[in-house]
Amino acid sequence: MSTERTTQQAAAASATAAGAARPVPAPPVAPVAPVAEAAVPDPRSGFAAGTAAAASTKRKSGRDRNRGQDRSQERGQGRDRDRKAAARVAAASADSSLPSTPPTGRDRGRDRPTAHPLAEDESSGAQALKALGAPVPGGVGGVGGVGAVVGGMGGRKGRGLPNPAAAPALSESERLRYVGAATRRIARGIDLDEILLGLCRSVVPAFADAILVYLRDPLPVGDERPSGAFVLRLRRTDRAPDESASEHPETGALLPVVPSTEGAYGAAADHIDVPMDGALAEVLRGVRPLFSEAPQATAALYELVGGCPDPTSPAANGLILPTGRRAILAPLRGRRRVIGAAVLLRRPERPAFESEDLLVAAQLATHTALGVDKAAMYDREASTADSLQRAMLPDSLPQPTGVRLASRYLPAAESARVGGDWYDAIPLPGSRVALVVGDVMGHSMTSAAIMGQLRTTVQTLAGLDLAPQEVLYHLDEQAQRLGQDRMATCIYAVYDPIAHRVTIANAGHPPPVLLHANGLAEVLRVPPGAPIGVGGVPFEAVELPAPAGATLLLYTDGLVESRTRDVWGGIEMLRERLHAASQIVSPPPLEPLCDEVLDILGPGDRDDDIALLAARFDGIAPRDVAYWFLEPRAQTAGRARRLVRQALRRWDLEPLTEATELLVSEIVTNAVRYAERPITLRLLRTDVLRCEVGDDAPTLPRMRHAQPQDEGGRGLYLVSRMAQRWGATRLSTGKVVWFEMGIPGGLHR
Amino acid sequence: MGVGVYGDIQLHRAGQAEAFDAIGGRYNEAFPDKEGQLVAGGWLADSLPIGARVLDVGCGTGVPTCRQLVDAGLDVTGIDLSAGMLALARESVPEAEFHRADITAIGRLDRSLRLGRFDGVTAFFSLLMLPRAEIPHALAIVRDLLVPDGWFTLGMVEADLDDFEMPFLGNTVRVSGYLRDDLRQVVEDAGFSVVKEDSYPYSPATFDAPPEEQLFLHCRRRH
Repeated sequence: MSTERTTQQAAAASATAAGAARPVPAPPVAPVAPVAEAAVPDPRSGFAAGTAAAASTKRKSGRDRNRGQDRSQERGQGRDRDRKAAARVAAASADSSLPSTPPTGRDRGRDRPTAHPLAEDESSGAQALKALGAPVPGGVGGVGGVGAVVGGMGGRKGRGLPNPAAAPALSESERLRYVGAATRRIARGIDLDEILLGLCRSVVPAFADAILVYLRDPLPVGDERPSGAFVLRLRRTDRAPDESASEHPETGALLPVVPSTEGAYGAAADHIDVPMDGALAEVLRGVRPLFSEAPQATAALYELVGGCPDPTSPAANGLILPTGRRAILAPLRGRRRVIGAAVLLRRPERPAFESEDLLVAAQLATHTALGVDKAAMYDREASTADSLQRAMLPDSLPQPTGVRLASRYLPAAESARVGGDWYDAIPLPGSRVALVVGDVMGHSMTSAAIMGQLRTTVQTLAGLDLAPQEVLYHLDEQAQRLGQDRMATCIYAVYDPIAHRVTIANAGHPPPVLLHANGLAEVLRVPPGAPIGVGGVPFEAVELPAPAGATLLLYTDGLVESRTRDVWGGIEMLRERLHAASQIVSPPPLEPLCDEVLDILGPGDRDDDIALLAARFDGIAPRDVAYWFLEPRAQTAGRARRLVRQALRRWDLEPLTEATELLVSEIVTNAVRYAERPITLRLLRTDVLRCEVGDDAPTLPRMRHAQPQDEGGRGLYLVSRMAQRWGATRLSTGKVVWFEMGIPGGLHR
Repeated sequence: MGVGVYGDIQLHRAGQAEAFDAIGGRYNEAFPDKEGQLVAGGWLADSLPIGARVLDVGCGTGVPTCRQLVDAGLDVTGIDLSAGMLALARESVPEAEFHRADITAIGRLDRSLRLGRFDGVTAFFSLLMLPRAEIPHALAIVRDLLVPDGWFTLGMVEADLDDFEMPFLGNTVRVSGYLRDDLRQVVEDAGFSVVKEDSYPYSPATFDAPPEEQLFLHCRRRH
């Protein structure tokens, strides 16, 4: 039976039965393919037409508070309403904009008598079925052609069909089509949520009125053995819309389990501890789906949904579930073990499940469970990759003097696509700071791992205080030593807050953008360079002014390139966005500016991960800096003390003079011992006083425990005791030993 | 490097000149806003009557000092080792007279250049290009070029260095320096009295030159 025919016939039936109650729309335009690529059968057609009819039936019976209604009584109620409902289905199917929920028909249904004699129902049901063009019950032998395929599924199909409109859905071919579409929809899911959504959307309303899906918590991944107690957690619920509940609140109780999808689960428990000797555990071990017919199955159902096997127990909170063939409890068995369970429920006014429906439920459960199993493994890999990626990025950025920094990292929209983008900021001697953004080519766990290697390499090279082009040159060499295909693009910039300059070298990366204090956003002209990993290509650095108040933005191509935009279009957008942001406040606050910049991406635009590093140049005024070259001689320590005294007097920091002179003198004394070329002494006044002593001897000093009789060896010990912080950095040209003294009264500026 | 040997000195000067020929206009880009130097130039200009003869030793591009002195109505002569810098100076300050010359050679080795006597001399960051051993000698020549009671304004970078070879704006130059007390001593020993002294922290606008402490001494020739 084709869907098209059903709806056309239904429309015709509507025209005769319902008269002019509602204008009959034109025949439906697009036939719905039986097993459409779009997976789940349209609830307005075929199998689901029964649901639509049942839904309208329910509205009637909903008035009757008798929950233990005879099945035939329920089914009898909807005789001509069913036809009208079918007509509405036809109307609905002509209007593709309608949602796929069954039409309501409540306006008319409300005026109907509540009960119908059984016999009348049966006969009128058959009539209605005829009117719908469905095979008449009892005369459908020919439809069972595919019955053999599904192993006797059609065995009792002709007899006592509960609902006339539902009858067509119960043919083997319909069932097969449904199972085919539903399993496809389930298996198509790539993550847990998608799979469970696929299951729920397949089941409700086409197969059941409500579904509850429980999974083990924690969900076992792969072959690992679950540890700890057997806990099930309600992961997803869905149900067909239930107008009667809102319309007649007093009858809502008739549908005890009406879990909403928004988290109000009614009486359904969220977490269930499953005792291994209970009915639920027993049913789950059995793997096969069961109706709630046997006492054990009912107990298991109540244990699962109500958290208590005995419905009369107060612990069950008066929960009343559909029972018998209106409830299926389907264990979800993955590759190795049961990982959860699904509960499928039909409302009392809907026809009960048939025994063949257990096979359908088993199919859905199997596909769901295997899908969930795989999704859990996939998810673990994705989350491992994601944590790997994040672990490779800086925990926090340094807060160097003279520059403010902000960063963002966004993974690609598809969770499993780990990107290998990175950013970094590395403080250098002389209050300079290296700013790095890079992008390893490819998207995989490997990219994240390579990123980690390259980031570490850049850190190391930066620590040597090499020139930017040298850093990239050595990074390129190192990348080739690390292995094949270590391809990446990278920008390495060094900002000098004292000189108000920035030096930038580029390895095939999109150009940085400089937002000037006046709101002009400038795409910096930086030689493009070859990507890291190409090998043998020299890099060039450009030195540019970095005026105070300007903001340098380094980013990866994910920000500017997408399916809908090429790189240059994206950069232009970025430039405009920066310009616009600084029209309100200039310079715009840094953190909001980063968010603003990320906003240039539409919701579906994030094909790639994004790293963003923004540096606001504050600069350090010359008056806060003092710098001297000193020949390494016997008198040098004394000279250094004199210079310190002189500088601290100028800065009104005389209280620090004694301690600072002492420490500088200790470090200079040590430096002079090994240095061949002039040493450097740098003093910097910010919120702390920083002193740096540089020399050309590469050996880093080590703190020793001087013996009482030792002449020297106490220098660094003194430094470590008296300075707020101290350290030593090896440079390509020697080393720098530095320390910082707290300034009394803190920030002086 | 041995100093005092004529050949070596020539080699030394040639190296310095070559570096500055190469640096050219980049010098002013890397060292903009010479606040201290302008103040010190102002000292000299204020000390002299209009029309007085002034020599700028190591005038470089002529900016800002020759320009400043010319604008103050003085009769300015500039000398420098670097032909490239002098070309820029002639362009910037056409009112002044420029010669390619080494201060240590004037009057003793290079007798062709007869500059005569000056009422004032400035030397901003030029004597630091000499080895320390030659600096007293250069100061003596400056003294010789000045009229009695003539004014001399000196700019140096505070450092304890002697003929230290360092990278500078993409080239290599050799520089010397004194700490301020030592510098004052050297200047006084050369026959000057220091009238005024000041220092300015300065940060060149380049990665290629570190920040520096600029020292300015305003001196007068003792009789």
